[in-house]
Amino acid sequence: MKRLTFLRRLIFGLAAATVVVMPAWAQVKVGIIVSATGPAASVGITQQRTAGILPSTLGGLKADYVLLDDASDTSTAVKHAQKLITDDKVDVIIGPSLTPNSLALLDLVTDTGTPMISLAGSALIVSPVDAKRHWTFKTPQSDAQMARIVIDHMQRQGLKSVAFIGFSDAYGEGWIKEMTKLAQAAGIEVVASERYQRTDTSVIGPILKIMSKQPQAVFIAASGTPAALPQTTLAERGYKGVVYQTHGVANNDFLRVGGAALAGTFVPAGPVLVAEQLPDSHAAKAPALDFIRRYEALPGAGARSTFAAYLWDAQLILDKAIAAASAKATPGTPAFRAALRDAIESTRDVAGPNGVYTLSPTDHLGLDERSAVMTQIVDGGWKLVK
Amino acid sequence: MTFDIAAVLFQDGVANGAVYVLLATVLVLVFTVTRIVFVPQGDLIAFSALTLAAFEAGHTPGTVWILALGAALALILAGGKAAGERNLAGLASAALWFGAVPAAIVLTALFLVPKEAPLLWKMAVTCALITCLGPILYRLVFEPIAAASPLVLLIAAVAAHFGLSSIGLHVFGAEGVRTPGFAGPPLVVGDLVVTRQTVGVIASSLVLVGLLSLFFRRSLSGKALLAAAHNRRGAELIGVSATAAGRTAFIVAGLIGAISGILIGPMTTLYYDSGFILGLKGFVGAIVGALAIYPLAALGALLVGLVEAFASFWASAYRDVIVFTLITPVLFWRSLASPHVEEEAE
Amino acid sequence: MMRRILAWAPLGALAVAAMAPLLLTPYQLTVATYIMLAAIVCTGLVLMTGVAGMVSFGQAAFVGVGAYVTAALSTTFALSPWIGLVAAIASAAVLAALIGLITVRMSGHYLALATLCFCISFYFLVGNAELLGRFNGITGIPPVTVGAIALRSEAAGFALVLGALALVIWWTRRLLASRTGRVLRSLRTGTVIAESFGVDGQRHRLIAFVAAAVTAALSGWLYAHVQRFVNPTPFGVPASIDYLFMTVIGGSGQVWGALLGAALVTTAKQELQGLLQPVFGATTRLDMLVFAALMIVMLHRARRGLWPLLQGLISLHLPAPPIVAGIDLPSGRARPTPGLPVLAASHMRRSFGGLVAVDDVSFDVRAGEILGVLGPNGAGKSTLFNLISGTLPRSSGELSFLGQPLASVGARDMCRRGLARTFQHVKLVPDMSALENVAMGATQRGHCGLAAASLGLDRAEERRLLGWSQHLLARVGLADKAWEAAGSLPLGHQRLVEIARALAADPVLLLLDEPAAGLRANEKTDLARLLLELRADGLAILLVEHDMEFVSELADRLMVMNFGRLIACGQPGEVRANVEVQEAYLGVAA
Repeated sequence: MKRLTFLRRLIFGLAAATVVVMPAWAQVKVGIIVSATGPAASVGITQQRTAGILPSTLGGLKADYVLLDDASDTSTAVKHAQKLITDDKVDVIIGPSLTPNSLALLDLVTDTGTPMISLAGSALIVSPVDAKRHWTFKTPQSDAQMARIVIDHMQRQGLKSVAFIGFSDAYGEGWIKEMTKLAQAAGIEVVASERYQRTDTSVIGPILKIMSKQPQAVFIAASGTPAALPQTTLAERGYKGVVYQTHGVANNDFLRVGGAALAGTFVPAGPVLVAEQLPDSHAAKAPALDFIRRYEALPGAGARSTFAAYLWDAQLILDKAIAAASAKATPGTPAFRAALRDAIESTRDVAGPNGVYTLSPTDHLGLDERSAVMTQIVDGGWKLVK
Repeated sequence: MTFDIAAVLFQDGVANGAVYVLLATVLVLVFTVTRIVFVPQGDLIAFSALTLAAFEAGHTPGTVWILALGAALALILAGGKAAGERNLAGLASAALWFGAVPAAIVLTALFLVPKEAPLLWKMAVTCALITCLGPILYRLVFEPIAAASPLVLLIAAVAAHFGLSSIGLHVFGAEGVRTPGFAGPPLVVGDLVVTRQTVGVIASSLVLVGLLSLFFRRSLSGKALLAAAHNRRGAELIGVSATAAGRTAFIVAGLIGAISGILIGPMTTLYYDSGFILGLKGFVGAIVGALAIYPLAALGALLVGLVEAFASFWASAYRDVIVFTLITPVLFWRSLASPHVEEEAE
Repeated sequence: MMRRILAWAPLGALAVAAMAPLLLTPYQLTVATYIMLAAIVCTGLVLMTGVAGMVSFGQAAFVGVGAYVTAALSTTFALSPWIGLVAAIASAAVLAALIGLITVRMSGHYLALATLCFCISFYFLVGNAELLGRFNGITGIPPVTVGAIALRSEAAGFALVLGALALVIWWTRRLLASRTGRVLRSLRTGTVIAESFGVDGQRHRLIAFVAAAVTAALSGWLYAHVQRFVNPTPFGVPASIDYLFMTVIGGSGQVWGALLGAALVTTAKQELQGLLQPVFGATTRLDMLVFAALMIVMLHRARRGLWPLLQGLISLHLPAPPIVAGIDLPSGRARPTPGLPVLAASHMRRSFGGLVAVDDVSFDVRAGEILGVLGPNGAGKSTLFNLISGTLPRSSGELSFLGQPLASVGARDMCRRGLARTFQHVKLVPDMSALENVAMGATQRGHCGLAAASLGLDRAEERRLLGWSQHLLARVGLADKAWEAAGSLPLGHQRLVEIARALAADPVLLLLDEPAAGLRANEKTDLARLLLELRADGLAILLVEHDMEFVSELADRLMVMNFGRLIACGQPGEVRANVEVQEAYLGVAA
């Protein structure tokens, strides 16, 4: 009898210990897919670096990250996502970096019930929030939001005509589509819409065509250093109008390659690009400065990148959501993933380097006007336009 | 389209075409000597510009590590083979080409190129680094399968390109560079404004193609190279080594690649992976020249540059569609015009 | 017994593969599915590149055609994926036929570049097409449905693709073993063999091109419905290069090589990343460098691809296929009366620029006789040979065959009229068996084409053609070498196989270009006996030879050429006594 009591106590004790210890042992698995090689490497590499400074715990649980590179290839992204979901049994996927690659995963994450936070630009990934996009979220400002900033700025400047030149790919296409729509609505005439490729050695043809139409402004929809070529060509041909770039150019290499030709260019961007110049009241200032401190301390990372910051935003959202979800279910289970999805969807006022996220069942991005600022390139640096 | 625009487009087309001419010329050279379609030639051009840019920025260019790694591998392979065969001459040649020469260049690049060094010196070291990569690539990738079918050689060249662009991304990063070039105000000829860089590119291209033509028509080693191309066994019987011929071809390829990179670096932004599309356009030129006839290849390459310039003005989104569709009838005509060559089976 | 087991092995393998969903994780199934999707494309490439010798850089675009056609039909127009399949294959076939009409005539690198141009154009056309979702692609493609069941899961996708792959491999193997397949296999060394045996080589190049495109489109259709999303990236030039890469690595001449290459390259690309993370660290990507190095080493070790290497390693010595019973097919032609001219040439002339290779040559060959043609090197024998066989057009002069004047004819037509030839430099398909090489000569004696071969309606005809070939092999004394690869036979035997192949075409005139060169003495005796037998059968034989003694003993009449002119013609004895002949040919002053 006595022994039985002992046994019972032992069992109860162990069980209690397990319950107490459990949270400390439980870990949440996060899969990350970025395009660190291939055509989109310049975007993905910054995110790959950021993966190295992600916090070791998310929502109080030990976080285990599995980082994969999809080589900018759609099929590889699908294979990787499948691997993360079935072999690694991740609770959530962050990425991919590219719009087509994210779109390719919609069915897979829906079928397997895995929340995904995309790092790609197009609004198509999360809107409309239908059955197919039930599990999908994203952190980057959508093309339409950023385009809005540009068009507003153009209107304030009293510009009446604009020409577009952009990448002949999903990035350029997404931007130009939104810009064309908004420009027409705002009464700004689009006089030319040209395309070029990332590795082109010359863009004189499209630039001459643009200049022959004499637009008051030129908008360049490209990312990274390749965005400099149209602008240096414009400068060489003596273009005097206003030039707009996208937030995709926000890195130091772009400034280095473009040099003096870039002076005066307007660039819409996430707050992180000009964090130091933001008023202290801006909700994104503190998290942005925190991110910049960590990111720029990385060897070889160079200056901040808005693309890198999207991964940081995702992490901040997950931190809150995982804390909420882990109260309802154990990581590694479908119930946890469902709880996590619900928790992400009910994210409120999470401030990240790129803005403040408040999601809802109809808005899986949740950024407001605080997520985008207009900056100008002055003296080889980024300056906030008030 | 006004005359002014046409003139600028023409100039741009010719300048870009001149670079494709250099590429096409090298592709023809390498193919006639070794039957290899040397896909990585474009990578050498990109690496050249990236190397010079690194020197300009005061960094050690990643090319140094690529060269060191490649040379070490080649030295082990070539040295090991020569030692196994107790071939002293081979051992000495391996030690020279894959030991002493790369070591000297690597040390120079590491310690003797300060940021404030004159541009010309930096260009020279860049040329040396890239040129030296040529024979190493030949030794590592192609020499062991020199007698294989052209298809196998092509696939090996593609694999080499994959490897180079992978290591290129690692050492140079994904972002592009622009290098300094011929300084000075543009030249004005009547209504035309011609940048010095354009003149420099076209002139260098002409000189190089001319020199190559002379080399093959007049010099003994040029003729030996051609002999090796036509008949490996026969050439070896009369004392021309196919291996040496291949190596020479790759040294020339490396040198011209280096020069091409330095030439276009100031005109445009170059990336670790710019080489592929450049190589493709050079390849089009080379094919128009039936991979054998230099002037035709040059003409074909120039044509690609011009069509590209005008197509990008008319319909920039469809530029490549236009360029490559217009090429097809030319190919058809060339295919009919050139004598039918039976494809070799292994 | 062994053979019977082997015959069922593929079915067994298929059954094992079909069980895979029970054993593999969904991820492994996904990778396996992608491997098989690539393998389908590569099988087409084996047909086109490995077998018919045409290099293509455009396969990915044909995959794209299949994928986009079905994607657009099943989303925008809400049609069934099965309609999409028909449309995908039909559009790829039509497109390939149109492109092929222009491009397959191009040789070597021209064709490679033309397909590359197509691939680049396709990428940008699709990327700029509003209807096709531009660069962002098309989402929400429905899965394939069978009855009421949607094939949505990984296992279902796997099964669907496995079925398609099995079908493609089965079809390709059947095609390659057929009459059309033998012609395709002869194309890698050019169209000369095909044309010389009455077959339209260009048409068969087109067949290979279209077949490869259709296989690619099938893979594209599967891709669209398995992945349920398409965008332009997987259909660009890099993807095309990947397919070619897989094919060559696997062993471009082998159907199984396609599967092996696809598996190897896909798995390496997928898994190297994970394997190398502990080596280089999580944020350093050098997996493509390692991949490239592996591939280069592999090419160094096995330049013919991995499959042939594997075959060698496990030395899977298949038991010899059953002996084909010889069948002596009756001749389909009316034999001309012995002694009447079969071929008559008058004042034939051919010049190359300023050089006159054949000048004013007149002669005839009669049924039941052997006419020997002699002459020193450069005398114009080969040109004369090519003029007669239709490979070269003549500059002027008349030629008639069986009494019918020939205005201008090609090799193909001459074969159909009853002329068959051998080649001075042996032209056999080296990796095809002696028997099939001979059957190549009998191509004109059969009728079954691609469709019949695909449906298995060619069995009876195949039995007749192979039986006839076996009969002829026996006649030249090589009955026991039927299934040996022609390339591995000694030169003397290869020449005999060429003669058997020429006989298979059921000729009335046989052109033999130096058949005794490289033969040993006893082999020459056998050859002479064979030729005499053929003469007795009423065949006309034109024999171009160097070996004076051999010809003199055999030939009924001799003609001697020098500097493009006929300098003597007549009985061997007379000709040998001719002074001019002795000076010119024998190099001795009389």
